[in-house]
Order: sequence, then C-alpha cells, then structure tokens
Amino acid sequence: MPVQLVAPDWSLLVPPLIVLGTILVLLAADLVLPRERQAGLTVVALLGLALALTSLASIDWSAKGVTFGGMYRADSFSLFISLVALIAGVLSVMVSAGYVEAGIEPGGMALAEYLSLLLFSVLGTMLVGAAGDLLMIFLGIEMSSLAVYTLTAFARRRLTSIEGALKYFLLGAFATAIFLYGIAWVYGLTGSIMLDDIAAALRGSVRGDAPVEASLLLALLLLAVGLGFKVAAVPFHMWTPDAYQGAPTPVSAYMSVVPKVAGFAAMARVLVQGLNPLSQQWLTLITVLAFITMVYGNVVAIAQRDVKRMLGYSSIGHTGYMLAALAAFTSLQPGDRSVGSLLFYLFAYAFMNIGAFGVVAWLQERGQGVNLEDFQGLAARSPLAAFAMSVFMLSLMGMPPLIGFYAKYYVILALIEAGLLWLAVAIVVMSAVSAFFYLRVVTVMYFTEPAGAWQPARTRMLGAGLAVMALGNLALGLFSGPVLDLAQRWALAFA
Amino acid sequence: MDQIPILSLITYAPLAGAVILFLLPRATERAARWVALLGSGVSFALSLAMLAAFDRSATGMQFTEFIDWLPGLGIAYRLGVDGISAPLVVLTTLLSLISVLASWDPIRRRVREYYISLLLLETGMLGVFVSLDLFLFYIFWEVMLIPMALIIGIWGSANRVYAAVKFFLYTLAGSLLMLVGIVAVYQAYFEQTGVRTLDVLELAQGTYGQAFQMWAFAAFFLAFAIKIPMWPFHTWLPDAHVEAPTAGSVILAGILLKMGGYGFLRFNLPLFPDATRAWAPFIIVLSLIAIIYGALVALVQPDLKKLVAYSSVSHMGFVTLGIFALNAQGLYGAMIVMISHGLVTGALFLLVGILYERAHTREISAFGGLHRSMPVAAAFWGLFAFASLGLPGLSGFVGEFLAILGGFRVYRWAGVIAMFVVILAAWYMLWMLQRIVMMRAPGEPPDPDDPELRLAAVHGVPPAAGGAGPRGQAVDPRTFPDLNWKEFATLAPLAVLTVWIGVYPGYLMRILRPAIEQALAAFGRIGL
Repeated sequence: MPVQLVAPDWSLLVPPLIVLGTILVLLAADLVLPRERQAGLTVVALLGLALALTSLASIDWSAKGVTFGGMYRADSFSLFISLVALIAGVLSVMVSAGYVEAGIEPGGMALAEYLSLLLFSVLGTMLVGAAGDLLMIFLGIEMSSLAVYTLTAFARRRLTSIEGALKYFLLGAFATAIFLYGIAWVYGLTGSIMLDDIAAALRGSVRGDAPVEASLLLALLLLAVGLGFKVAAVPFHMWTPDAYQGAPTPVSAYMSVVPKVAGFAAMARVLVQGLNPLSQQWLTLITVLAFITMVYGNVVAIAQRDVKRMLGYSSIGHTGYMLAALAAFTSLQPGDRSVGSLLFYLFAYAFMNIGAFGVVAWLQERGQGVNLEDFQGLAARSPLAAFAMSVFMLSLMGMPPLIGFYAKYYVILALIEAGLLWLAVAIVVMSAVSAFFYLRVVTVMYFTEPAGAWQPARTRMLGAGLAVMALGNLALGLFSGPVLDLAQRWALAFA
Repeated sequence: MDQIPILSLITYAPLAGAVILFLLPRATERAARWVALLGSGVSFALSLAMLAAFDRSATGMQFTEFIDWLPGLGIAYRLGVDGISAPLVVLTTLLSLISVLASWDPIRRRVREYYISLLLLETGMLGVFVSLDLFLFYIFWEVMLIPMALIIGIWGSANRVYAAVKFFLYTLAGSLLMLVGIVAVYQAYFEQTGVRTLDVLELAQGTYGQAFQMWAFAAFFLAFAIKIPMWPFHTWLPDAHVEAPTAGSVILAGILLKMGGYGFLRFNLPLFPDATRAWAPFIIVLSLIAIIYGALVALVQPDLKKLVAYSSVSHMGFVTLGIFALNAQGLYGAMIVMISHGLVTGALFLLVGILYERAHTREISAFGGLHRSMPVAAAFWGLFAFASLGLPGLSGFVGEFLAILGGFRVYRWAGVIAMFVVILAAWYMLWMLQRIVMMRAPGEPPDPDDPELRLAAVHGVPPAAGGAGPRGQAVDPRTFPDLNWKEFATLAPLAVLTVWIGVYPGYLMRILRPAIEQALAAFGRIGL
C-alpha cells in the first residue's frame, strides 16, 4: 500500500505553535542573557500567551477541522481547553514572577528555564484537549506532566521539594504505564486508537443489557485508573499533598490547575467520546470515585495547619466535584450539561485556586511562612491582600456571588437533571464541611492581631495578578453567561 | 423599562456607599460615618417613597423589574414587592439607618471597614426581600452572611470569634440544602411544563407530587427554620446576639430573623401547599415549644442581652404559629409580630447597648434605680418592655393576639397554651424592668420611705436591692448620664411606630391584605 503524505493544515495549529515559538524564544534568551538580567522574560512569556489567546479567535472552531490524519482536532472542546490552559498559564506566570526572581528558594532555577517548562506544560494540556486519538492524549499528558515534575523539584536544595517531586514523578510514571497498558488493550480489542473509530467499533460490539466482555472492562479500568492519578482522585491521590506542599508555591498554584485540566480533558475525550458506548460501566465507576474523592478531600483538609497542604487536600475535594460533573453524563445531546459544567468548573477553578496559592506566595515574598499562623492579622496589615484571600476562600467554598458558586451550581444542576440527587446533596454537604477550613483562614486574617515583622517585596506583577483573579472571581460569576455558553458547546465537538 | 427602577435603587444605594468607602482607603472616620449615613439614608427615603406609591388595593407584585441574565437556565434579574415584602423593606431601611446612627459613637475601631460591612449587609437584606427569582434570592441570602459574620467577629465582645463562626456555619449548612431544593423545584417544573424558569411566581403555578413536596418543603424549611430560628435550631442565636455589637444585634433581631418568616410565606406556602398542610401540625408543636422554651430560659438570664435574645426565640414562635395556622388571622398576626418585633426588640437592644456604653457590663445585677439617673431612658425601657410583653395599645399585642387567635381557630390546644405563655413574657419583662429601673441601685442606701423596707422589717428579711450588689469595679448606675440626642433620635421613631401600630394596625393590615389573601388562596381559607 503506498503511503500517502497529506500536508497538514497548519492554520488549525496556530495557537499551540505560538506557545511553542515563545518557548523557543525563552530558551534562546536563556543562552544569551545572564541570570540576573532575565526579569524581562516574564513579559515575553505573558505576551506569547496573550498572542496565543487572541489567535484562538482566528480559527473557526465550529467547523470541527481535523488534521494530521485525525490526530489533531480543532473543535469547540479543544477551544475551551486551550482557553482555560492559556488563561491559567497567564495567571501562573503573573504569580510566579516575583517569587522566582526574589530567590526565595535556595538553588532555584533561572527564570527562562522556569518559564519555558511552564509553557511546555501549557502546550501539552492544549494538545490533550485537541487530541483525536489515544496516542496524542498520551503525548500531551506526558508533555504536561514531565515539565511539572521538573518544576516541583525547582528548589533543589530543599528536601521537601525533592521529596514531592520524586513522589509525584514515581507515581505519575506508574500511572502513565497503566494508562499506556490500557491503550494497548483498547487497541487490541477495537483495532484502532482513533477515538471515533473506537466508539464506532464498540457500538457494534456492545449490545444493550448484554454483559460486556471482561477484557473491555479491564481496558476501561486501566484507562480510568491512569487518568485518576493525573486528576488526583481518591484512592490515587497519595502524591498530591506532598507534591503541593513541597513544590515552590507558584508551582503548586500551577500544578493544582493545569495538569488537572489536562487530566479531565483526557477523561472527557477518552470516556465520553471514545468509550461512549460503555457509559453505563464507567458512569458507575466515576460516580463512586466522585463521592469518595469529595468526602476524603474535604474531611482530611480540616485537620491541616499548613495552608498549602490544606489547599492540596481541598483540591482533591474539588476533583470530586468535577468528577461528579462527569458522572452526570447521560447522552451526547446538546442539552446535556455534564461536560459543560465540568469545563466551566475548570475555568472557575483556575481563578480560585491559583489566586489562593498566589496569596501564599505573596506572603512568602514578604518573609512569612505558609502556616495558618502566618495569616494572622493580615486584614489589619494589608486589607487588600486579606480581601483577595477571602474572595478566593469564599469562592472555593462556593459562596455567591463568586464564581465558585456558579461552578458548583451548574454541577448541581447537571446532577439533578441526570437524576443523581444524592450526589448533589453530597456536594452541598461537603461544601458545608469545607466551610470549616476555608473559613478558618478568613477568621485568622480578620479576627486576630498581626504578629512578626515583614520584609519589603520587589515586584508588582504578583499584586496585579491577584487583583485580576479577585476581580475575575467577582465578575465572571455574575456574567458567566457567555463562558457557560461556550462550555456548553462541548456536545457538538463529540457528536 | 418605562419606570424608575426604584427597588434596584433602594437595594443598591447602600452598596454604592460601601463601594465609595472601599475606594477611599484614606477616608477619615468622620467621613466614613457620613457616607454610611448617606447611603442608608437615601435608601430609607426611597423606600418611604416606594411605600407611598404602593397600590394597596392591587394584588400581585408591584414595581417589578426584569432583566434577562442567564436565559438558558431560566435565571433572570426579577424584582418586585407585594404587601408582605413592602413593609419589611421599609423596616430594613429604617433599622439600618438607625444602626448607622447607633454605631456612631460606640464603634471606634476600624470604622471604615465596619460601615462597609454594615452597608453590604443592608444591600443583602434588601435583596432578599425584593428578589422574585430563586437564584437571585439565594445569592442575596448568602451574601448577607459574610458581612454579618464580620460584624460579629471583629466588633463583637469577648467570645466573638466563636459566635461569628457558629453563626456562619449554622446558617450556611441550612441554606445549602435549600440550594438543592431550589434546583429540584426548577427541574420538577421543567419536567412538567417544559419551561426553564426560576421565577417564584411561575414556579408556584406548578403542581408537584406529594412525595416531592414533602422533602423539598423540608429542604426550604430547614434553611428558614435556622434563620428564624425555631427550636431546636436556635442555638446559634444567643451566642450571636450576645457577642454582636449593638447595631449587629439590632439588625440580627430586627431583620435577619424576619427572613425566616418571610421565606416561609414567600416560598414554602405557595410552592408546596400540600406539604405545608401535612407538616403544619408538626411545626405548630415546634412553635409552641419555642414559645415556652424561649420564655422560660429568658426568665433565668442574668444578662440583659441574653434575656432579650431568648425573648426573640419566644416571639418568633408566635410567628411560626401564626403562619402555619394557615388562616387569615394567623398570617396577619405573624406579619404584625414580625414587624412589631423588629421595632421593639431592635429598641430593646439599643437600650441594652446604651447601658453597656455606660457600665461596660450587661449583668442585670449591676443596674438599678435608672428611673432617677436616666428618666428618659427608663421611660423608653418601660414602653418597649410593655410592648414586648404584649400590652394592649402597643404593637406587640396586636400581632400576638391575632397569631394566637389564628392558632386557636385551628388547634384549640395550641391557642390555649400560647395564651398562657404570655404570662411568662410579662413575668420576665416586668421582673427585668423592676430590677434595673425601679429598684435601688447596688450600694444605694435604702430609702426610708420605701414601703418595701417596712414590709421587709415586719417580716424580718433583709431589704431587696436592685440585684446582688456591686461587683467590684462596676460603675455606679446612679452616675449615668441620661440619653444624648443621638440615642434619643434612634429610639424615638421606634417608639412612635410601636404606639401607632398598636393603636391603628389598620394601615398595616390594608397593605398586607391582598398579599395575604393571595397566599391563602391555595388553602381555600380567605377573609377574616
């Protein structure tokens, strides 16, 4: 059979190519600029990301363009994942700016290296969102994760940083292997790695109520476990608290969001698009995972004194809410809200969680620690920082009118429409539980007196980033209509 | 929109004040106070204009506003008031204005932040009363919690942080289940009619299955029962009231508690009439327990503020009794008790605050002989204590009488029991009044002309003094200055309204009538 070479449609790849170009510029700059003179590179990275964001508008996403023989899909789902990844990238870069320059961490890496790794991870996440086959998903996830493993070990003279990175890496590599094994099984059973072909093949073999072949279930289980590690679902969450606590704070901010976006994008692509005919089977699995994940994350977070660790466990709780959104899947009809609410949650989560870690970084820049005690009297010392942190905490808790409330509301709506009332009740009960530990931060900031001395800080970028995120939490909830509409178009991409 | 959006203006005038203060970090304390006064003053003036323009003969919502918000989800910005909410809106703006005045001197720490919280709180409360969209309602309902918790937690007394957190968590837990109830009603209505909406009035047109109604009613009920608060969900209330600063207590008792009763009337009754009927006897029993329990506990309180707080639990029992009697007398009674309680208990908390400013204690035993040192304040104490215990001619009587009558018509035993508890109310109020106003101050030598002294001599017992005597550093109540003009200005309007409603409740009842008749239409019991 003659091999046909078809020129790929490069115009669909403009946004990821811009990110790649920015990475190359950063790496080249690292060669010529000494470490002390790299401060301007933050602006370069931000410009690159902004350019990629604007280039999203140049593509007609509703045309569902496909290139590279179906590996790369430019549909409305890719659009939303790219949007979230790029925005989270911008916010993370803003949060990182001062931290890396100020040399808070001993033996930290150069800014150019840091930024290029961060952008590599953003690029990987964009590719997962746009993946048309399992191999592309695998490559995207690896690109996204490997960069983050390295970033976690950023503070190479601090043991907790190394420990976190090692745990993250070993468990991540393990999960990758499981995922890859799952891909092999799926390929063996269906004869394809293309998501649409897999769905078509399964539609032929899976019949109504007849029991499903055990080998298919095994493949499903392997894929789900591999992705469960990536999104930190219980019981595959063991790495999360240590990695979040050990990593430098801006990296924790980043890795609490973007790799999770990649993981959930992969879940949606694999389960909802590829293994759609097996939905009865995986819905049970995801529902159970969602429940235990949200309960475990929120309950264990109560006992934490270290704010980063607390946010780590709380992010496990949020994974539970997002899995619940996925569990609300019923069909690929445009009215189904499940994946739409998941996408909106990821969008909202970027603003809430990067912001919360950002305030921790803000305190560290001023010579404070990361424990609850370090937040004492913040309201008296810096009313704006305390206000921003309260916004993030209350948003994570799900207080209206902040964006976290809208995200949770849409998930609850999806669940009730799907008839999963008990899971909706579980979400609100867990929100009440989460109020304990989120509120504790607010209480400490507002109801206690400040103690200890502060060091002056150098950069304004972090403050600007926090302001953007606080305003985003306030405004994007009230005017969530357009974003929600965009997220709701996911069904068009998969159908 | 062809008319002035007056409800939005009323609701957001305080918010505008809060934003101005937020943007002026260098505002002086004096400027902050004036901005707050302006924000709440404008809101109050507009709400009076609204009440003046209110059509008392029309049924249905007035001054409605509508802006599409999230159309795909049936969420819109819907505002409107009817006879039930209009008086509560005016009560809110009035008490908020009074709270701003009452905080003028006592709040000396972080003044700007304090007024920002107070103004945000006012916007939240007003939003709750004017929203006709369940989603919007829920937002305002929750938004209110944060400034209230801050007011308790930052500007409260010794145990404030515990009280603030308890208040927040308690109320949050209740309202989160309501959120599930809201979405469930929305979904049930959609399945029935194919229309996605969160419009309260439209949702009330739907008919829901009995089983669904029962649990959805419970989800809403829990949120409102915690807020009002009913026994056994009341335990947050004494802590929050006692620890809050004076204005915080005034707003808590005067307005926040009313939201529970308002929620029952606006949501539980119209949305779930069958479940309301089924649950009513159970709730009546809870109401009676609350009435008796609140009164008995108030009787033994050594702390003035705690006494007033527990009396609130008792009074709110009358509100739920009236509402779930499900007849016209009961509903009129419940509404008038709510408004009267807002005025009277607000005033009592102001008076406690005034004493606290002077004595720095709220122990009843530290006071005495106020009729001599503070004659004007003592007169107000008397007036409001009598209004609270239900003296005919004052506002408390009208509401309690109607509520008991309503209860009596449906459940004889309930009416009888509630009637007897009024005696307890007289007992704790009069006893408190006797101890702080009439009796000798601690340390004051007995008056030789005191008939009580002669009586005591005859029976060979030591003469009673106002309480157990001075506790070391307590300030002598004989040296207290009487009310200053600001304190007088906060109390006088409440006194006038208390008397007016007591003498002539007709004005209020005419405003209430169309809305109450409409609320009862689903239950087939119209008219007095």
